[in-house]
Amino acid sequence: MKIREEEVLRYLGCGGRPADERLRRTVASCVEALRKACTPRSVARVFPAGFPAGGVRIGNLFFPGSGLRNHIRGCDKAVLFAATLGARADILLLQASKTDMSRAAVLQAAAAAMTESYCDEQDAKIAAEAAKEGLYLRPRYSPGYGDFSIAHQRDILTTLDCPRRIGLSMTESCMLVPTKSVTAVIGLTPEKSGCTISKCMECNSENCPFRKETEDESAQ
Amino acid sequence: MNLRSELGKRIVFFDGGMGTMLQAKGLGAGELPEIWNLTRPKAIADIHRAYLAAGADIIKTNTFGANRVKLGQSGYGVDEIVSSGVRLAKEAASAYGALVAMDIGPTGKLMKPLGDLGFEEAVSVFAQAARAGERAGADLILIETMSDSYECKAAVLAAKENTSLPVFATVILDEQGKLLTGGGIPSVVAMLEGLGVDALGLNCGAGPDQMKKYLPRLTECCSIPIVINPNAGLPHEIDGRNVYDVKEDEFAADMKEIAEGGAWIIGGCCGTTPEYTRAERKLCADIPPRPIRKKNRTVVSSGSRAVVFGDRPVLIGERINPTGKPALKRALRENDMDYLMREGIAQQQNGAQILDVNVGLPELDETAVLSRAVREIQSVVDLPLQIDTSSPSALEAAMRLYNGKPLVNSVNGKPESMKAVFPLVKKYGGTVIALTLDENGIPGTAEGRCAVAGKILKTAAEYGVEKKDIIVDPLAMTISAGQRNAAVTLGALRLVRERLGVRMSLGVSNISFGLPGREQINASFFTMAMQNGLSAAIVNPGSKAMMDAYYAFCALSGADGRCMDYISRYSAQSEEKKPAAGSRVSLGDAILKGLKESARLSAQALLKTEDPLHIIHSQMIPALDQAGKGFERGTLFLPQLLMSAEAAKAAFEVLRAEMSEKGESVKNGSVILATVKGDIHDIGKNIVKVLLENYNFDVIDLGRDVPPEKVVETAVSRKVRLVGLSALMTTTVVNMEETIRQLHQAVPGCKVMVGGAVLTPEYAEKIHADFYSKDAMGSVRYAQKLFGGSPD
Repeated sequence: MKIREEEVLRYLGCGGRPADERLRRTVASCVEALRKACTPRSVARVFPAGFPAGGVRIGNLFFPGSGLRNHIRGCDKAVLFAATLGARADILLLQASKTDMSRAAVLQAAAAAMTESYCDEQDAKIAAEAAKEGLYLRPRYSPGYGDFSIAHQRDILTTLDCPRRIGLSMTESCMLVPTKSVTAVIGLTPEKSGCTISKCMECNSENCPFRKETEDESAQ
Repeated sequence: MNLRSELGKRIVFFDGGMGTMLQAKGLGAGELPEIWNLTRPKAIADIHRAYLAAGADIIKTNTFGANRVKLGQSGYGVDEIVSSGVRLAKEAASAYGALVAMDIGPTGKLMKPLGDLGFEEAVSVFAQAARAGERAGADLILIETMSDSYECKAAVLAAKENTSLPVFATVILDEQGKLLTGGGIPSVVAMLEGLGVDALGLNCGAGPDQMKKYLPRLTECCSIPIVINPNAGLPHEIDGRNVYDVKEDEFAADMKEIAEGGAWIIGGCCGTTPEYTRAERKLCADIPPRPIRKKNRTVVSSGSRAVVFGDRPVLIGERINPTGKPALKRALRENDMDYLMREGIAQQQNGAQILDVNVGLPELDETAVLSRAVREIQSVVDLPLQIDTSSPSALEAAMRLYNGKPLVNSVNGKPESMKAVFPLVKKYGGTVIALTLDENGIPGTAEGRCAVAGKILKTAAEYGVEKKDIIVDPLAMTISAGQRNAAVTLGALRLVRERLGVRMSLGVSNISFGLPGREQINASFFTMAMQNGLSAAIVNPGSKAMMDAYYAFCALSGADGRCMDYISRYSAQSEEKKPAAGSRVSLGDAILKGLKESARLSAQALLKTEDPLHIIHSQMIPALDQAGKGFERGTLFLPQLLMSAEAAKAAFEVLRAEMSEKGESVKNGSVILATVKGDIHDIGKNIVKVLLENYNFDVIDLGRDVPPEKVVETAVSRKVRLVGLSALMTTTVVNMEETIRQLHQAVPGCKVMVGGAVLTPEYAEKIHADFYSKDAMGSVRYAQKLFGGSPD
């Protein structure tokens, strides 16, 4: 799995500016520690998708709202997807936050980059499977985006049997635990040209320090 | 059948998968299967009868998720689901004379500290289900599919405390043979045997071919009956359904090998059906169960490791013990658990294999503090712990919430000590250090100490505590008080080993008390003791002399295979990165560059000629400020800013020690930090904490998942003027709003600053926060402005 240094630096809020040698070494060592400690796991299942009024139906689940509905409009199937780096990543973070906060910050960013990278890798596998049926993937869309309520985390975890299959669970306040985890809906569509908006820039959190500002500028 | 009389005489058969059968009958993905006990009882009864007809001796009730966490808002109660589930199984089983196992699966939540399910809450959830199962007439309890040893411990304790039924426990392993939380077979077996389960083993997760590979590791360390309930292979998806591809004949052939390999109780899990049970029974019914050999391993465990006391001595780190350690005493009084956690991590890095935890200070509530220390330390260090206390109530509380099988320090030959300690070891599992002293004091001869050890072993047996779970400590007494003291201890080591054949441990450094150059005596005595059969020692793993003696002994005695550990320790001994004496960096530069050690040294040097306050104002504040501005301008990144902060902290510690000696106060003002209720992600809050501390603010860190009331209460009692709150989730921002509301009401002058991923300046204003901090430096600037400490 590829974990790009630039991605780690972006999560650190470095926004494309060059890092010094010492920081780059810390990034490399955190990436290495995570690779050694973590066994990322995922689970994905395809369900039929439907578009009743006011929301979208995936398998037995109904998700009200327009965000997800618009995002996967035109898809007659959708994948429910969940992935996690596992508990070891959280334990490493906890340890670092007791002994070396600077390293903890880098580790946190590296774990975020690793999660994304792992999800992209799983995405590619799902895409390869879907291609056999002439289907293409829409980008992942997660509970918490737009009006797709974070409370639906529970539905996805239960439907995919996540606690048992990949050790992924959630707290009372719908926070995924272990924390370096993702749940998402991926639309499957016969149209090749899907959605082209970059994942980061589609998000409504305009104050997010991790926003890909430089890419945004260069795009303009 | 009669479980107790038939187990071990013939192979006993569990039924197979329930979920698989229910899905075939139309159960949808995500639907709660247990509800069918009430809504479709006939379907459940039919499944039970099909398994019984196929030859199952024990059937599992349809109650895997029948706990109040999973049933949640389903509208159904635990009692009704469990009692109907057990009744359906019993009605079916009675015609066959078969047994009914009350099935208990995991809650589906993650345990604290990674998740939000507390240990006692978990015990109570499982207790409710277990009691309902026994009331409804179950013959035994099967705790299964556990992927976290801590949750498994909660379930076993609940079952044993609340019912008198036999308890079986099986765990789920991943493709590397580990639990999802990291434990392996040896640590799980140590814990479950310690807790006194009647049988243990594996289920779900893998097919029989893979479980076949794990079986030798189980039989190697397990001394009780083994249960194996595999899936019909690994699941894969066809047309939106999970399909398992190991067919019944192939499955049964593997199960035959598993039965021959030592499993006494076999069955199936996901993907298996009555056809599998029938095939299994056909091939395995006539296999004689392999006799179980008692392993007599002296072993302790954490959630993820087991440490076996064998030929190679085990090092027990002694640093978490306040005796003679003023900094630790201060940390305990200030409830600074981070200090203990750092001590634990450092000892592990230095080579400790077990950590002693002793928090006994006369003015503290030892039961509360020891429990908290054990909980915090086990969250960051994966070594087994030695729970060290003379208070039986503190011992029980700590053993109960400990994740694994602990080492207990200690019991002695006095009747009241044995009466207090042995029942706890029997109930919770543990290996206990037995000190060779009794009501007549410490015997002055090796014979005398060996006799006390013998008496302790005999009494332990009366409580059901086996010899393998006792480690004798024949007591090292200082040679400065008695010339023969070392000889007596060494003699006792030899006698105890020859006559009693148990493992032994010593608090080695006692031998030199009152002498100068203690390390030399300690190290030599350590070597002599190891040569006389010592199997564990309580030492300071930071002591080079002791560790040198240890590694040399292991290499010389042959305990270090091919001297690998010795070579890896000494061949590449890293050049210590200590700043060269001549090229000292100025304090300001050290802070700017984030050099911790240099900062500490130059603060020490400056103190010789300058006043601490002057050093702070002339050197530290300007450097910190430059770092802060660099971060704000974007020339310095967060990790670098934090490194500067850590370097400043090292210097501040030097200066504060000097100032508190002079009775001067240096702190700028008090700030409460908390991650709001429901939110357990606290890295942002911790970053702010490090920075504020190093801008010399007194930070009161309330941790994560903090209820509004606690924030208010602390703000009132400590008269705090600034509170920082963080929230990461849209679902927890409501708790932030509530905390602010209560704070503004109860403490009108108190300001609240907020931060976190989901917040915006507009939203912060809407929930009436006084300040929105866009990053960690923002909070420092606001605090400076508020307390008037700003250099701007």
